[in-house]
Amino acid sequence: MGEPATPNTRRAARDSLFEASAFEHSTDVGGTAFGWRRQALIAAAVLGCLVVFALARWLAATPQVGGEWMAGADGALVVRELPKSRDSRESPGSQQPARPGASQPLTVVGIGLQGEAPLAVDALLLHRWPRWQVDDTLRDRQLHQHEALAQLLARSAGSVQLHTADGTLREAAVAARGYAGLGWVFWPLNGLALLLYLFAVVLMVSKPQPRNALFVVMALCQAGNLVFIALASANGLGSPMGAMTSDLPVRATLDLCTAAAAVHTFALRPEGARGSPRFPGVALLAWAALPAWWLAVAVGTGLPLWWLAQGACLLLGAAALAVAHSSQRQHPDAHGLVLRRMATAALASLALVTLAVALGANAGGSTARAVAAAASTAWYLFLTYLLLLTPFLARRRQLLREFALLAGVSTIVTSLDLLFVAVFSLSAFTSLAVAVFIGLGLYAAARQWVLQHLIGSSVLSTERTFDHLYRAARELQARPQRYPQLLTQLMRELFDPLEVQAVDRVPVRARLLGGGSALVVPMRQSDDAGGVAATHSRALVLRHAQRGQRLFTVEDARLADRVVEQLRRAVAYDAAVERGRFEERQRIAQDLHDDIGARLLTLMYQAQTREMEDYIRHTLQDLKTLTRGLAATEHRLSHAAGEWKADLTQRLQVARARLDWRLHVDHDRRLTVVQWSALTRVLRELVSNALYHGHATHVEVDLRLDGPLLRLQVADDGDGRAPAAWAHGLGLGGVRKRVKLLGGEVAWAENQPRGIVCTVRVPDFPAPR
Amino acid sequence: MTVKVLILEDNPVARSFLCRVVRESFSDAITITEAGDLETARRHISLTGGSQGLHGVDPFKLMMVDLELPDGSGMELLAELSHYPATKIVTTLYSDDDHLFPALQCGADGYLLKEDRFEVLVEELQKIVRGQPPLSPAIARRLLTHFRPGGADSPAPDSGFMVTPFTTSKPVPIEKVLDHERLTPRESEVLTYLSKGFTIKEIASLMAIKWFTVNDHIKSIYKKLNVSSRAEAAVLASKQGLV
Repeated sequence: MGEPATPNTRRAARDSLFEASAFEHSTDVGGTAFGWRRQALIAAAVLGCLVVFALARWLAATPQVGGEWMAGADGALVVRELPKSRDSRESPGSQQPARPGASQPLTVVGIGLQGEAPLAVDALLLHRWPRWQVDDTLRDRQLHQHEALAQLLARSAGSVQLHTADGTLREAAVAARGYAGLGWVFWPLNGLALLLYLFAVVLMVSKPQPRNALFVVMALCQAGNLVFIALASANGLGSPMGAMTSDLPVRATLDLCTAAAAVHTFALRPEGARGSPRFPGVALLAWAALPAWWLAVAVGTGLPLWWLAQGACLLLGAAALAVAHSSQRQHPDAHGLVLRRMATAALASLALVTLAVALGANAGGSTARAVAAAASTAWYLFLTYLLLLTPFLARRRQLLREFALLAGVSTIVTSLDLLFVAVFSLSAFTSLAVAVFIGLGLYAAARQWVLQHLIGSSVLSTERTFDHLYRAARELQARPQRYPQLLTQLMRELFDPLEVQAVDRVPVRARLLGGGSALVVPMRQSDDAGGVAATHSRALVLRHAQRGQRLFTVEDARLADRVVEQLRRAVAYDAAVERGRFEERQRIAQDLHDDIGARLLTLMYQAQTREMEDYIRHTLQDLKTLTRGLAATEHRLSHAAGEWKADLTQRLQVARARLDWRLHVDHDRRLTVVQWSALTRVLRELVSNALYHGHATHVEVDLRLDGPLLRLQVADDGDGRAPAAWAHGLGLGGVRKRVKLLGGEVAWAENQPRGIVCTVRVPDFPAPR
Repeated sequence: MTVKVLILEDNPVARSFLCRVVRESFSDAITITEAGDLETARRHISLTGGSQGLHGVDPFKLMMVDLELPDGSGMELLAELSHYPATKIVTTLYSDDDHLFPALQCGADGYLLKEDRFEVLVEELQKIVRGQPPLSPAIARRLLTHFRPGGADSPAPDSGFMVTPFTTSKPVPIEKVLDHERLTPRESEVLTYLSKGFTIKEIASLMAIKWFTVNDHIKSIYKKLNVSSRAEAAVLASKQGLV
């Protein structure tokens, strides 16, 4: 028992888990359980909103110097349209109040209170992203300026003095930022953060599992990042105290946490190996990266902190991908594949962003700032969208596709917008318009690609689906007992799964398992499919659609349901048609038999000659064979052979002849009505010939069936000779016709020492369908 | 004393033909009563002592009953006469077991196929009267199914090529089947051979017994079929509150 689980037992455990989760899903959301879940959810939502509003209030209460601040040449701080302070009447800036917008840009080199040494400032004050400041010394200066300014503004009583480059002093009003000054991206970003947070809460509350806890960690970290970005987006000069100094350590921690959780998540895959990471060491190491980073910061490695953080994130991302790749190779799984693709996209974009920011930093100045802001914001948004997407991978495909596209496009639009504003100094409106325009173009272009590659589209066109369904229905009509095989085959054709397995449980409808890795399809058996009921209802579990390249979606489940239903209807309809046909045939047979049979009988009794009587008897027997063939659906060869033998024995007995009956059949099989009636009549005709034309006393019948080859030989010792010279009357013509109908050939030859031997060969005696 | 024979047949030509067959078959003096429908037949029978044949002074010794009659099926008459002490023979054009089997269950002692040659019919009739009823492969197969433990509803034996050992240790039915309603292993064996088209002589040599022993088995099977079907009818009747 203590030995490590073999792949098989692990697979078995996985299967049982699979089934358990497949069929006992609805039981865990009971009435009482729902109560606390809803309460927890509401409480979490209220808490999240409160936090956001507290943040907004904090930021709104922060004092700031209004105006349009921007970077000037050589990294200087430039302000345009300085708002008028309360005593601006004396200030020189008030000389041109009648010409708004025409105020000259001021280069500000220092900010101070009256009678105090000014704080030297430059464009670094505009850089609110210490986390994305590449150069450590620049960051130190930046943090110093931010903190000093924050303290200064806190102490100011309504105004500060701006020391301009040309030596003049300007009064600038200091006021609380107010809710209007939070900036236009503050609320959307916070809203997104809130959404992500609520997602995490919903997931955790509905299914408290280790895997979901990891998702929650990632989601919360990203929500935190978004909040930081939102804080940095506020208008005006002046940040809340402490916001800037905490930016780097907190956000780097959040990033590393996200990366470590990602590694851990992939280490837990595939599903079913719950609780025991398949790569426990890797997960542990990933989490160890966090304290390691802190240690490096504390001790000081000589490396720039930004590079350290980025390096750690990229490394962890690469580790996550490696783990995902290896587990994917062992257990191909569509869900895992999509997740891996997402991780690849996130990592690749992170690498690009890192590269861009590093290059931008080399360029220095406003470019560095713009690139850092735009690129990192875009990346965080992208990651957020990916996270939001994950729980919906197997949900409605249409929704998912549109969501994915919107996410991607809005990320691009945002980043372009930021870039245009920063680099090309376009006005906000123009840049937004251009960005949206480009975004729409991208949306149209990317739509098809996303459809096929990220989520995977249905490979089958409607036409081919219909074709498959039609063929299956037709074949089912012919062989209703093959229903399970046909349904399995059809499902294979429709979804091309890696694995198909029959289980003994019966779900009411088709449903998804494991986030779309598997689909359970009920095999509903039609009740009127007669005789088929033996294969009782079961279900098929399809795993990993399209050879593990695609996830099953809710649409797939509905499609499977409809297919099963259509097949059931087809079978029921065909059974009804067949029943009707059978009844009709029986009625015809009955009428023929009763009416024509009785008349032929009367005719036979009144026959003048023996030949006439025999001829009518023969006709009557043919009629009986015909009607029996009409009424019966099929005959077993063994049964038919028994009847042939008994019939021939009796007839030969009457004619005082001897029968030698040899039968060799490799296996019993069913005869179609056509085969049965053809063989019956051929045999009867041949023996009649031997008796009445050849006057034989000994007839040998040898019937063999070896695989598809049927051979019937009737030999007699009569006085018939030279068969080539025979005139083929009604009798022999009938034999030829019937053998031809079976797809065989008949030959007559002289028997030694006397008589005739007739050989019927059917090389491909078809088995009934 | 003459032997009284009743021939129930609606087709006059066929009736006269059957009369010829009967006369040809027996050397005794024969009185033939002909009837064209069930009603006439019933009247004749009641004249000779009713359907039980108990008080009749001079009951019919032999009855030839056609199945398809203008006012019903000969089967009805056979069912009514299940205790009538006569050899009852079904004459029919239907040779398939679907039609013949119920007739045998109603107590027929044998059957003749009307389209057979005159001399064949004579021979067959003589055999039946002597106690050698015919048993076609189809009927034999049907009998095997009928007597198979588990009920008559189960499908026909699937393969005649497999000689299944007939042992009494087969799945025991929940309902206790009386011995006289069950086939002996020997009888089952005979039926199996018959269903494959073997003649009585061939069966005798295959089983290493005398041909008349095979015949006894067949007679016994006939009897059991009638008895078991009567028992079935009784059960059915009591269930429906008829008795």
